[in-house]
Amino acid sequence: MFKKDRLFWSWIAFLLVVIAIGGYAIFLIMYKGLVVTNMSDGAPWGLWIVLDLSSIGLAAGAFSLSAITYLLGRRDFRPLAKVAVFVGILGYSGALMALAMDIGRPDRFWHGWVYWNVHSMLWEVTMCITLYFSVLLLEVFPMVADLPFLARFKRLNAFAHWIHRFAPVLAVIGLGLSLLHQSSLGATYGVVVGRAFLFRATMPILFIFSAIAGGIAFTIHVTLIVQWLKNRTLVPEKILFDAGQISGAVLLIYLYMRFWDATAGNYGYVPGRTEAFTTLTGGVYSLTFWGWEIILGGILAGILLIRAKFAQSYSLLLIGTGLAAAGLIFNRLHTTLLAFTEPLSESPPLMDPLVTHYTPAWTEWAATAGVVGLLALAFSLGMRFLPAFRGSEEPEYEIIQEPQSVTLVTETAH
Amino acid sequence: MAQETRELTRREFLTLIGALGMSSVAGTWIYNAFVVEKERDTHAVDPDKPYWAMVIDLGACIGCERCVHACQATNDTNSDHLWNIVLEDNETFNQHVFLPRPCMHCEHAPCVEVCPVGATYHRDDGLVAMDYDRCIGCRYCMVACPYGARVFNWEKNDEQNPQVPRWGTPEVEPRPRGVVEKCTFCSHRIDAARERNLTPGVDRAATPACCVVCPVEARVFGDLHNPESPASKKMQGREVITLRSHLGTNPRVYYLLPNA
Repeated sequence: MFKKDRLFWSWIAFLLVVIAIGGYAIFLIMYKGLVVTNMSDGAPWGLWIVLDLSSIGLAAGAFSLSAITYLLGRRDFRPLAKVAVFVGILGYSGALMALAMDIGRPDRFWHGWVYWNVHSMLWEVTMCITLYFSVLLLEVFPMVADLPFLARFKRLNAFAHWIHRFAPVLAVIGLGLSLLHQSSLGATYGVVVGRAFLFRATMPILFIFSAIAGGIAFTIHVTLIVQWLKNRTLVPEKILFDAGQISGAVLLIYLYMRFWDATAGNYGYVPGRTEAFTTLTGGVYSLTFWGWEIILGGILAGILLIRAKFAQSYSLLLIGTGLAAAGLIFNRLHTTLLAFTEPLSESPPLMDPLVTHYTPAWTEWAATAGVVGLLALAFSLGMRFLPAFRGSEEPEYEIIQEPQSVTLVTETAH
Repeated sequence: MAQETRELTRREFLTLIGALGMSSVAGTWIYNAFVVEKERDTHAVDPDKPYWAMVIDLGACIGCERCVHACQATNDTNSDHLWNIVLEDNETFNQHVFLPRPCMHCEHAPCVEVCPVGATYHRDDGLVAMDYDRCIGCRYCMVACPYGARVFNWEKNDEQNPQVPRWGTPEVEPRPRGVVEKCTFCSHRIDAARERNLTPGVDRAATPACCVVCPVEARVFGDLHNPESPASKKMQGREVITLRSHLGTNPRVYYLLPNA
């Protein structure tokens, strides 16, 4: 226990260093302007949009697992849903922080609520994210109010329990808002008529499905790590494996849709889109595309997640969920970066000057690391000190090795 | 010890669904009554009003870039983030062609559709304008613009404008750091013309600086609803294209193909 205690505080110290470096980068950005990044008129969005899309995608476990718990009536999923909601609020905080430093005028962040352009996908995303963030705050509030040193505030606790009564209602609202904005984040790209690689009606669907798969997977992944570090059980193992299977199944359905989107969408030569697709599958991104997004983070992750339950193997579950989460991040990365480095479509004289090269500057990496570090810090402290994640005092917990006798044939027998 | 969560009864659940349904109906009605109607007004092309357009003759342009300089001087733009640029191409027409590219002021402008706060909008006369006080600098319009016509103020523009005073003097206010900007068709001149009873495209003080300065009349401005305007006359008997017309943006910048 002592050893792990030291590990925990070293981890916190490490995070504080990362946050300090990130804080310096963010100060530079606020002081000198976005000129200190490598973004340009040709590549107006960069790494922070990837951070934004990824953290919202990985936070999708909150609405998916809340919906499973309260709307599909699987009350036994509640322990996992609690972790997911906590991951969720951190993910959305990260996204809001990323957006705040990405927009040129952070002092006008409130304009989205006051000046409406209902045609804009980004307006819809702004409204949904902020509303959903409030839902998450209400969902997390009872967990925080349980902290021992807050126990003396009787009214606060009474209020927290009163809110908790509305968990199913919050789940309904959260489901609606999440379905809307997780999809419309995809549509944010999907409606860009001028960039053939992005202009696909499939984008919203692909985004929501990959978010459900990646979000649930990420929740399981961090739960497993926390359980191992705390040597306690937060979520019953059956629930983890069941959720893993749901995630794996959604991931495989997503891959199926992605396959047809890529195949039918590139059947003939489509100016701009074909070039971007060629770069994705055979150019500079081919290694990360095939390796991380499709093979490891897609097919293998899906198979591992489904197989983990039959094999009763936490190792498979841990690897599968990690790969699925990584696959989501790489998908958002490829989508964002390819959009600006590839030809738009026909109209040759205009093509070349609009194609830009973009590699994130150190400030962008540092600020990203700072935000991620801040989230990791909040997560670590929350998992350690929030009573909701105390876990049950079950006997020593160990990662179960995969039994060698289980073969693929037994899977179908199940 | 956490308190047990009470289950929703069927009645409460149905009430909830009903309330959501009712509010969505109400929301749709409000949306249609107030928002859509308002927008239809600004989108409509009124045949009695001028249809401002720029006509650029690809056969005449000699690539001298005076329009670039005049634009930079008049609108006080940064050298790295010009509103009006001249592109070159020698593949499309079997000859070397210069292609000046201002903002297209599309009728169905992707930038106007995507702006989350309505900071870029159609003016009453159909030109696409920017509200620098409203822009939050999210740059979605730059992602959406099919013509790369938009530039961002990545830092405070404290450059000594290299084109002043030789090619003109700034006529508009400098923009703050962190907002997007673009070619305005020199709308400040068009607006001033109405007060002084000048005709944009004909009178120099009411015409975009790039068109005024062009030494070979490769770019002219005018009202396409008036067959006698310089722009309408320029197009007569020539083959006309718009850029990336398959996108359906319907630009107000027309290019005359060079004679073969």
